[in-house]
Amino acid sequence: MASSTSNGTIRVGKKPLGQRMKKYWGFYLMFIPVLIFVAVFHYAPMFGIRYAFYSWKIVGDPQWVGLANFEKLFKQSQFSTSFWNTIVFSVVKLVLNTGMAVIISLLLNEMISIKFKKLSQTIIYLPHFMSWVVTASVFSLLLAPSANGLINQVLIKLHIIDEGIYYLADKGHWRTWYYIINLWRETGWQTIIFMATLTGIDPGIYEAASIDGAGRWQKMWYVTFPALGNTIITVLILNLAKIMNLFESVFVLQNDSVRRATNVLQTYVYYQTFNAGASADYGYTTAVGLFRSLVGLALMLICNWASKKVRGRGIV
Amino acid sequence: MKKLTALVLALALCLSLISFASADALKIVVMVDGTVLDQNNGRDAIEARWEELHPGYDIEFVQPDHSAYYDVMQQRISSGDWPDVLILSSTYYADYAAAGVLWDMTEAWENSKTKNSGRFTGDIVFDGLKIDGKLYGFAPTRGNGCVTYVKKAWLDACGLEAPTTYDDYIAMCRAFKDKFGTYAVSAAGFVGNEAPFVNYLPEFYQDAYPFFVQQEDGTWVDGFCQDNMKEALQRIQDAVAEGLIDKETLTNKTSDARNKFYDDKFGVFTYWAGTWATNLKTNLEANGRDGELVALKPLEGNPLYYDRVPPVWCISAACKNPQEVFDAFIDTMLDGGDTQMLWEYGAEGTHWSRAAETVLAGTEKEATYEEGQFHMKENLEKAGTLYTKNHIDPMLALAGFDPSYDDPMSVAPEAKAASELFNANSRLASIVPATPELSEMNGELTSIKSQIIADVALGSISVEEGYKTFVDEGGQELSDAIVESLNALN
Repeated sequence: MASSTSNGTIRVGKKPLGQRMKKYWGFYLMFIPVLIFVAVFHYAPMFGIRYAFYSWKIVGDPQWVGLANFEKLFKQSQFSTSFWNTIVFSVVKLVLNTGMAVIISLLLNEMISIKFKKLSQTIIYLPHFMSWVVTASVFSLLLAPSANGLINQVLIKLHIIDEGIYYLADKGHWRTWYYIINLWRETGWQTIIFMATLTGIDPGIYEAASIDGAGRWQKMWYVTFPALGNTIITVLILNLAKIMNLFESVFVLQNDSVRRATNVLQTYVYYQTFNAGASADYGYTTAVGLFRSLVGLALMLICNWASKKVRGRGIV
Repeated sequence: MKKLTALVLALALCLSLISFASADALKIVVMVDGTVLDQNNGRDAIEARWEELHPGYDIEFVQPDHSAYYDVMQQRISSGDWPDVLILSSTYYADYAAAGVLWDMTEAWENSKTKNSGRFTGDIVFDGLKIDGKLYGFAPTRGNGCVTYVKKAWLDACGLEAPTTYDDYIAMCRAFKDKFGTYAVSAAGFVGNEAPFVNYLPEFYQDAYPFFVQQEDGTWVDGFCQDNMKEALQRIQDAVAEGLIDKETLTNKTSDARNKFYDDKFGVFTYWAGTWATNLKTNLEANGRDGELVALKPLEGNPLYYDRVPPVWCISAACKNPQEVFDAFIDTMLDGGDTQMLWEYGAEGTHWSRAAETVLAGTEKEATYEEGQFHMKENLEKAGTLYTKNHIDPMLALAGFDPSYDDPMSVAPEAKAASELFNANSRLASIVPATPELSEMNGELTSIKSQIIADVALGSISVEEGYKTFVDEGGQELSDAIVESLNALN
C-alpha cells in the first residue's frame, strides 16, 4: 500500500477497514467488551439529556417544557452562587495544589538521604488514600471550637486567640480551611508526576552547571525549575478540563450555616433533588447537569487548544 | 411408532405444564429497606418460615442497602418496574399517594382481620395516615419519637429533681454547667432534616414548628413564619450564647452526640424512646459512667413530644391482585400469632429459640437458658451481640399477641418505661399533602430556613436579621407560594 510521490517521499496508505479487521481480528475481539461497556454506561445514559427539556417527577409521563428549566436556573440566585463557587474553588485549588506540589517536589529532589526521601514521599502520599468522609471527620475534630479541637487549643495556648473559633461554621474561615484540607490531601499525590520529571533530568546538566560555578540554589533555579515547566503546564491544562467535577470534598465539609455560601453545582443539584421529597423535578436538575457538562466541554476544548499550542499535541 | 411416541411426549409435556401451573405459587415482590433483617442476618429463614405459614405464596424480597433504598426504589418506580409491596417513609408515602403509585386500601383495611381483631390500638395513627380520607399504607407500629433523658447522677450531684417547667429546666442546665464545667445539652443539628424536625431540642422549640402546619380551621401556614418560631430561635440563641447548648450541635452527627453523652460531656440528651433507653444505659456503663437516666415528661405548658409518622407498607397500583396480597401479606403482620412472631422476633432457630442452650451475650458474657425459655440468639453478623428484634419493635406494635399465644415480651425495664412515658405523652406529626409548588420550591426553601436557624443559633445574626434574610433571599416568596398551593387543596 506504499506509493512514491513526486518529491520522492513514500506515502503509506491505509488498508480498507474490513481487511484490517480481518488481519487484527484478535485485537478487535478484545476491544468488544470495552466497546460494550462504553456504549452501555457512557453513551446510553446520554439519552437522559432530553429530560432537561421536560418537567419529570419520576411518576407519570414527562411534560415538555422547552427551555423553561434553563430560564428557571438562570433566575435562581443559588445557581449563580454555585456556578461561581465551582469555578473559584476549583481554580484556586488547582493553582495552590500544583504550586505546592512543585515546591515539595523540588525539596524532595534535594534530599540526600534516599531512605528519608522515600519515607517523606510515603508520608505525603498517604492522605490521598483516605476517603473524603474520613478526612472530613478528622478535620472536624481538629477544628472543633471546644476543648477537643487541637488547632484552637494550640492557638489559645499561644495566646493568639482567646476562645475557640468555629472554623467550619464561619463562611470566611470555611473557604480557607477547604483549601488547606485539599492541599493536605492532594499535594503529595500530585508530586508523583513532578518527581518523575525530575528523575529524568540529565545529570550531565547539573555537572556542567557545577563546573560553571553554580551553587545548589542556582542549580535548582536555573536547571531543575525550568525542566519542570512543561510538566507544570501539562498538569494545569489536564486538570483545568476537570474543574466542574467538584462534589465530595465540598459536600462532606458543609453544614447548615455555610451550605448556601459554599454550594457548588453538584451539591446544588443534590440538595434540589433530596430536599424536595419524592417529587423532585428531575427535569430541572438534569438541566443544571447539562449546563455543567456544556461548561465542562467548553473548558476541555479550550484546554485542548492550549495544549496544542504549548505541547504540540492535544489532550483529546 | 414414531408418531405415537411424539404424541405421548407432547401429551406428557402439556400435562406437566398444567400441573406445574397449578402448583405455581402467587409471587409477591416485596421491596424493603434495612428495617427487615437482611440476607446476611438470616432473611432466607424468615422468607422460608413466612412461606410455610402462608402456602400458595412465594415472597421475593428486593432489599437494597438501607442507605440506598430510596434511590433504588425511585429507579424502579421511574422505570415502571413496580414491586407489589413496598415500604415507604412519610414523605414518599404522601407524594406517591398523590401521584397514583399506591393502591387505595381504605376498604380493605376497614374489613381487615387486624382492624376488627379487638387487639388493634392504632386508630389514631391510622387516622393520621389518611390522605383526603383515603388510606394507602399500613403501619404495623407507631413511628416512635424522642424523649429527653437526664443523667440521674448529675441531678443528684447538683441536688436537683427532674425539672417540670422551662424555668426549672434552664436552672438545671445552668447548675450542670457550673458543676461540671461543660454545656448541658447537645444534639445532632439545631433542626432536623425530616419531620418532625424539632424533636432533638423540644424544650427550646416548644410549640414552634419550622414546616407547614394545618391550623384548627383547616388552613395551612408556614410554621417558620409564626411568632412562636421567632421566640424559639431566641431561646436557642440565648442558650448557645450562655454555653448551655453545645455549639457543635451544628456539625454533630447523631453518633457524635451519642459519644459525647457516653463520655459525660453533657447530661441532657433528647433521643429515641424504647430500646434506645437501654442502649444509652449500657453504653454509659460500658464507658464506666453511671447509666441511670431519668426520662422527662414534656415540660409544663409545652406540647407533647412528636410521634414520627411511621414508615408504612404499601401495595403498588401495579399489583395485579392487591386484595389478595393485602390479605396474605399485610393483614397477617399483626395476626397475634406465628406471623406476628416472625415479624417481631424473626425465625425460630435462627433469631430466637426456646431450646436449652448457652448463648454468648457480649464479648465476655454467656447466658444459659433452659428448655422452653425464650431467648434471642447471637447475631450472625456481629458475633457477641444478640438480636433484639426483626422488623416490628414489640414495644411499638399497634396490636399485641392473641391472649392464647405465648408472648415472649422480652423487653428491658428501662426501655419499657421510656416507651410507656413516650406513648403517654406524644402526638402524631402531621403529613403535608404533596403539591407541585411544594416539590418544586421546598428544596430551596429548606436550605434558606436551615441556614437562618444555624446562623441565629450561633449568634452570627439576630432573630430579626434572620427574618430579613428570609425575605431578601426569596424564602418568604417561596413560602407564600407553597402555603397558597396547600390552601387551594381545601
